[in-house]
Amino acid sequence: MSATELYPANEVLPRNERIVFNLYVISVLVVLVLMMLFGLTMRMAQGTWINVPPDLFYQLMTAHGAGMVGTVGLASSAVMWFFLRKYVRLSLAIFATNYVLFVLGALAILASVFIGKYAGAWTFLYPLPVHAMNVWSPHAAALFMLGYLLIGVGFLLFYLDAMLAMIRVYGNLGRALGLQWLFGGNIDPAHPKTVVASAMVAITNSIGTLAGAVVLVMCLVNIYFPAFTLNALLVKNLTYLFGHMFINASIYMGVIAVYELLPRYSGRPYAISRPFLWSWAASLVMVLIVYPHHLMMDYAMPQWMVIMGQIISYCAGLPVFTVTVYGALTNIYRSGMRWPTPAKLLILSMFGWAAGIVPAIIDGTITVNKVMHNTQWVPGHFHFYLLLGVLPMVLALMFHVIGSRAQEPDRATDKLGFPLYLVGGLVFVFAFLAAGHDSVPRRFAVHLPQWLLTDQVGSIGAILVIAGMLLLATRIVTGLLKAPVHADPAHAAG
Amino acid sequence: MSSRPPSHFARIALLLFLVLLAPVLKHLLEASMTTQMLVQIPLLVSVGLLLARAVPARWNAALANYDHAGINGLILATLIMALWMLPRALDASITAPPIAVTKYLSIPLLIGLPFALSWPRMSFIVRGVFLLELIATFFRMGWLYLIWPDRLCNNYLLGDQQRLGKYLIVIGTILLLWVAAKLLWGRMDSFAETPPSPPQLAADSGARHLDHGTPG
Amino acid sequence: MPILRTLLASLMLMVAGGFVLSAATDHFRAFTTETARRIEVHEHPVAVPDVLLETASGAHIDMAGFRGKWLLVDFIYTRCPTYCVALGGEFAQLQDRLATPLAQGRLQLLSISFDPENDTPTELAAYQQRFRNRGPGWLAARPVTAQGLGQLKRAFGITVIPDTFGGYIHNAAIHLVDPQGRLIEIVDMGNPDILAQDVVRSLDR
Repeated sequence: MSATELYPANEVLPRNERIVFNLYVISVLVVLVLMMLFGLTMRMAQGTWINVPPDLFYQLMTAHGAGMVGTVGLASSAVMWFFLRKYVRLSLAIFATNYVLFVLGALAILASVFIGKYAGAWTFLYPLPVHAMNVWSPHAAALFMLGYLLIGVGFLLFYLDAMLAMIRVYGNLGRALGLQWLFGGNIDPAHPKTVVASAMVAITNSIGTLAGAVVLVMCLVNIYFPAFTLNALLVKNLTYLFGHMFINASIYMGVIAVYELLPRYSGRPYAISRPFLWSWAASLVMVLIVYPHHLMMDYAMPQWMVIMGQIISYCAGLPVFTVTVYGALTNIYRSGMRWPTPAKLLILSMFGWAAGIVPAIIDGTITVNKVMHNTQWVPGHFHFYLLLGVLPMVLALMFHVIGSRAQEPDRATDKLGFPLYLVGGLVFVFAFLAAGHDSVPRRFAVHLPQWLLTDQVGSIGAILVIAGMLLLATRIVTGLLKAPVHADPAHAAG
Repeated sequence: MSSRPPSHFARIALLLFLVLLAPVLKHLLEASMTTQMLVQIPLLVSVGLLLARAVPARWNAALANYDHAGINGLILATLIMALWMLPRALDASITAPPIAVTKYLSIPLLIGLPFALSWPRMSFIVRGVFLLELIATFFRMGWLYLIWPDRLCNNYLLGDQQRLGKYLIVIGTILLLWVAAKLLWGRMDSFAETPPSPPQLAADSGARHLDHGTPG
Repeated sequence: MPILRTLLASLMLMVAGGFVLSAATDHFRAFTTETARRIEVHEHPVAVPDVLLETASGAHIDMAGFRGKWLLVDFIYTRCPTYCVALGGEFAQLQDRLATPLAQGRLQLLSISFDPENDTPTELAAYQQRFRNRGPGWLAARPVTAQGLGQLKRAFGITVIPDTFGGYIHNAAIHLVDPQGRLIEIVDMGNPDILAQDVVRSLDR
């Protein structure tokens, strides 16, 4: 099999797989657009272009945060599944169960926010959910946490199935990660990078889920037995270990699309290497211990943990830059690459990830963090990663899949959708970064007059992003629902 | 699988049970919360685990009809374990003889025995979920015991409760590291099977590539 | 089919388990013995046994002698460096807050020692003195016989275990006994104001 074959036969989706995959993709796109609209509402409210009562603002903020993080996670788990199933046998029933549990959890979250009026942000930081000042009931907060637990169980089942499948082929997860080649030996050139990435995410996100399982249950107990008070700092640590891990896992699952698809569009194989194995092994450890960079403002934190957060934040950039981004760039350099939409999205994602690291590392410096962390610099940094990094990875796969069915190449809508998304995304993200640079605080429903400019510029950016996203999403959905046969005219049978 | 006859295990189980019943040892183990929860109860569970080896294969096969993937053995063991995690149950097992009898009978027969019978039937995923929840429970219980300002059990001291909390966290951590090590570096023969052949590639002819211009 | 049979069995197990756990926790309200005994006493008042006591002044009185009065009872030992100190202080405060009903003889504060060997009448008097006993209304006493102590501990649900410093640890609370000699309520210490209000309300009923 040629490594650069565009649509290998082992990626074809049989009927049942196609149904579940379509469910994932279409649900993800619908929810993403909805969450983007929530986000736009927030930016326009801040920019005083529309009037939104503050408690509704915070409900939207809570739903947007939880919805985006969860949905991006779901989307990238579909990316992981799509490619991993070529190398190991994954259970479709479990993949479908993950979806069902996610939907149940999402419904619980939406109900808690829009019916129960829970507005304690997606981070449910103790003791905020129980100090609602009569805005929401303890049951609403509990329902929110139950939603998270359901989603966590779904992902846990998905990762366990992936681990089992990899263990059956490679013996244990260490061999799936290629750890035996770290210090020497001949690396099997056919060892899939997808397996390395999937093993890393399965391990680390299971640990994150464990932290979530512990802290969510303890918070639930506190809601119903208030005499049982928790150490807020410990809860915050566990919450961020869980949350940081989950959102990073979506990047690490999403990048599988880059490893798998980029060589096909550049025509040049993207070989596995020892630096590659080292960077994933190192990232496995680093992603778990870097979470204190969310707690640099908590002066009660042990000094060593905060310092570790800064140092590891810096170090964590190395594997990204030196292996993935550099590897991607060298792969496409002078390769005669053509640029259909998937390829554009893949390279955009590399830019988003690499450039997005810069504000992250800046904010990951303790002295900077002390003045920047509560500003819009932070949403600037994570929207950079997510909007311009992870989401393009996911969209690239989606476009690649519909490309295998389409008879015609990119439509005009694609040619418009991508630049809209790109330009809108840059404007939107840089508005946040500029605002953060001006010390505009984050998570404020009501803004001072001097902050309105960046809010309004950001709103324009968001409108462009949503316009682009609508074009791209419509294209994807119609493409997916088209005739399922492998529509390659050169192939006799589907 | 051991080649010892089932009666061998039944005998060891009975011996262990009688030893645990001995008043001197019983009193010693029930003197502190830590020893009752971390020594006496696990040993009683072990009695049940050993008994499972003595169950005739026919009975086990009959049970298997109601225990697909080992789910019900797990559910039963979990429910009864939840019962004995209640502080008032532990208290009562010391002061009220009927409760003590219930403890000595239910822990081996309704926790250890069903769990051991069901474990071989449990799939990787069921075991994975069980182990994760077990580790999480150790952390949650340890946390609970460490922060609760009052004594949960009337029969035990606060310092005892706190010490137990610390030990529970340590045990949870060790379990986590052990599971991680097993997954990363272990040999899991019970799950091994011949590697599945990924969906076979159709003939390479006609496979689509992107039209690449000449480089440079 | 094994799966269906299994699911049915699972359902039955979970329902049965739910019933068992519910019964074991008084409908998921009481996980500790302390909470359980409070709920129990509230729902099924316990008749206080007729036990003979010796007071700080050396006089003898038995529990039946308190019939017709409301009683607030706590259990102490005078060498106690922890709860009993708080209890003593609380009783002194209650003497102030409940001065009127105490003076009218409708209410009695009673501290019973569960360490009768060491807590002689002198010790009991000294204990009260430490908290500046306001005079009538607060009796400190010890059971005369070991059986009497046992009966009181059982009826009131008191568990005493040795701490490692030569003293005792016990579940400390304030017990409300009605004029018919029934234990009807067990209250946490530490809220003398609320307790005083509750007592006054009970008295007025």
